[in-house]
Amino acid sequence: MFKLRIAISTLLIGFALFAGCAPKQETGKQVITIWHWMTDREPAFQELAKRYEAKAGVKVNFELYAPSDAYSQKVRAAAQGENLPDIFGILGEKRDFASFIKAGHIFNLTPYMEANNAEWKSSFFGKALAVNEFNEGNSYGVKPGTYGAPIDIMTIQMLYNKNLFRQLGLNPRKPPVTFEELLDIGKKISAANRGGSASGGKQSGMQGLVSGWAEVWMIDCFANNYAFNIMGKDKVLATIKGEVPYTDTDWIKVLTFFKQMQESGVLANGVVTMINKTAEQLFANDKAVFAFNGSWCVNVYKGMNPKLDYGAMLPPAASEKFPMAIWGGAGSSFMVNERSKNKEEAVKFLQWLTGADQQAYLAQSTNNLPANKNATSKIPDILAQFADSMENATHPNVWGLSEFSVVIEAFDKGIQSIIIGEKTPEQVALEVQRIKERELAKKRLVR
Amino acid sequence: MKTGAYYKTKKASINLLIHLFLLSVATTCLFPLIWMVSSSLKSQDVIFKDTSLLPKAFHFENYYRAWMEGGFGRYFLNSIFYTVAVVIGIIIISSMAAYAFSRFRFPGRNIMFFMFMAAMMIPIPGSFVALYVLLNKLHLRNTSFGYILCMINVGLSTSIFLLKTFFDKMPKELEDAARIDGCSKIGLWWHVALPLSKPVLAVVVVFNALNVWNEYILALIIFDSRPLMPLQVALTTFQGEFVTNYPLLMAGLTITAIPIIIVYLLMQKYIVKGVTQGAVVG
Repeated sequence: MFKLRIAISTLLIGFALFAGCAPKQETGKQVITIWHWMTDREPAFQELAKRYEAKAGVKVNFELYAPSDAYSQKVRAAAQGENLPDIFGILGEKRDFASFIKAGHIFNLTPYMEANNAEWKSSFFGKALAVNEFNEGNSYGVKPGTYGAPIDIMTIQMLYNKNLFRQLGLNPRKPPVTFEELLDIGKKISAANRGGSASGGKQSGMQGLVSGWAEVWMIDCFANNYAFNIMGKDKVLATIKGEVPYTDTDWIKVLTFFKQMQESGVLANGVVTMINKTAEQLFANDKAVFAFNGSWCVNVYKGMNPKLDYGAMLPPAASEKFPMAIWGGAGSSFMVNERSKNKEEAVKFLQWLTGADQQAYLAQSTNNLPANKNATSKIPDILAQFADSMENATHPNVWGLSEFSVVIEAFDKGIQSIIIGEKTPEQVALEVQRIKERELAKKRLVR
Repeated sequence: MKTGAYYKTKKASINLLIHLFLLSVATTCLFPLIWMVSSSLKSQDVIFKDTSLLPKAFHFENYYRAWMEGGFGRYFLNSIFYTVAVVIGIIIISSMAAYAFSRFRFPGRNIMFFMFMAAMMIPIPGSFVALYVLLNKLHLRNTSFGYILCMINVGLSTSIFLLKTFFDKMPKELEDAARIDGCSKIGLWWHVALPLSKPVLAVVVVFNALNVWNEYILALIIFDSRPLMPLQVALTTFQGEFVTNYPLLMAGLTITAIPIIIVYLLMQKYIVKGVTQGAVVG
């Protein structure tokens, strides 16, 4: 028994000595705490924190909590306990962002954005800021204003492999600009795989377009690009509102493009079951002529194959009626805690962090696109190619209305069926329209 | 008529089939580990091109880089401290509780036991926010003590269930003899029940040690201070939003797997005993 008592006492003393104390906070200097989830940007953030401390005398603690899903849980739990740091980011949809604002966790940055003839606001790409803005009469019931500062942006577009272009006898400086040119390249890829002249009689094993189309949102993104190009934004939004049916000739045209791409050989084998990591691997290893990927791929390809020679391009246009649209906008944004005692200092730091020099440093060291449009002249060429297309960027988050998720699912899975030859574009359009009508009827019933 | 040779051949064939099956199961289990070690010795650009298990060039420096860049030193100590503290806490509390549930008759015994069992059904992530708010109110958030308490709580239900099942089957005559010798209730637990339950305790130790060693989401939520984080958090250093440094991640995983493999090897004979004695009933 004596041994037992000794053991339990030792344990209790041990707990008291080692476990009970929280680490001491540094005192004296003003400290701003920032929570983030961006592992790849952590060293650059730490460097910027040092620079800011040297410049402004304010210590900035960047605290990394990864992976992103665990970070989201931490932010939600901290919001419940009112323990959010001075600056943090929110991952999720716009309605999550709105719920944080309405719960009083996010500071309205509008006065700072608008100050000095909107100097801060005008430094950003307009579309990067849109994700953080709530307009008059927004459906979330949030007071109009800007509630976050973007620190980087992203676009999703096409990439082409310059080495494989040369092998196919194409000019690596001239990527296809029309849909017909894209289909022609598809035919060349098929010929090369059959052992045609482009490969000197040998079967090349070359793949066409690779992308993570097993994740249907990427198909949706690609299809939306062409929908905007053929019928324009208004008609796409009218379809979402239920005013234009999916059986409209323009929508059938969009669906037919996938059939044409499959038939021409421009799509890689098994693209409908391909995850993006596999697609990235194929493209980075010079095995695919095209990729459809986000601007984050610059970093991915650099890690997989630093010598990869490639360029970024807009998806080749199928119509001259409307401009080609790509998905893009703010990549990551930071918000200031409404309850923070250091709100003013936090805003000052965000203004500094989103300044052209700091943004250029972030872009150079992390290969992410800067949110500050004045920083693009100082970034690597391939990133600048992505940034150049920012004017073509759009995103469902800024459309102000969204399609029923079951309709999106049916549309995207329908495209997969077209690619594998299971259904025709007309069949898919009809099926999607039926689901759309069913959902609209349900909505009317609820009202 | 079937001869002896026939039976010998039949036995040999069945043995061969059994061994082939066991070999395939063992290969399936070992392959990820071998792949992990193999990948930890490759470079980032080679890992996507060379899929062979034997790397062409061995990059042993990955282990040094993983240790230094991940800051494994401090996290390693933290994880050892949390694992030891939680496992000891679980063993003491669950064995006492299981013994009481098995041997004593008191009001509400069944309800309390079923409440513990019901807790096994709640997934841990479902209780994160509640735990966070509770620890915050108790001023135990961002403290090792708060984390240890949470992890003890997480491991209690299963451990009580395992130990109670064992104590229920334990012959009462041994305790009667000890009682005649003047043993108190707590003495019975310490001198009789605990020494006899070594095989089950081994299962409880390995099960909970593995659980605490691999846990990181709760730690990430409760701790704001990086110096308090456990080892698993260090692994996230190599895993970016879009880019993952696979060689360093695999080197880090190999480092983190070693202690738990050692614990398992040390406890192996007790675990086998525990399982064969019906410790993991249900």
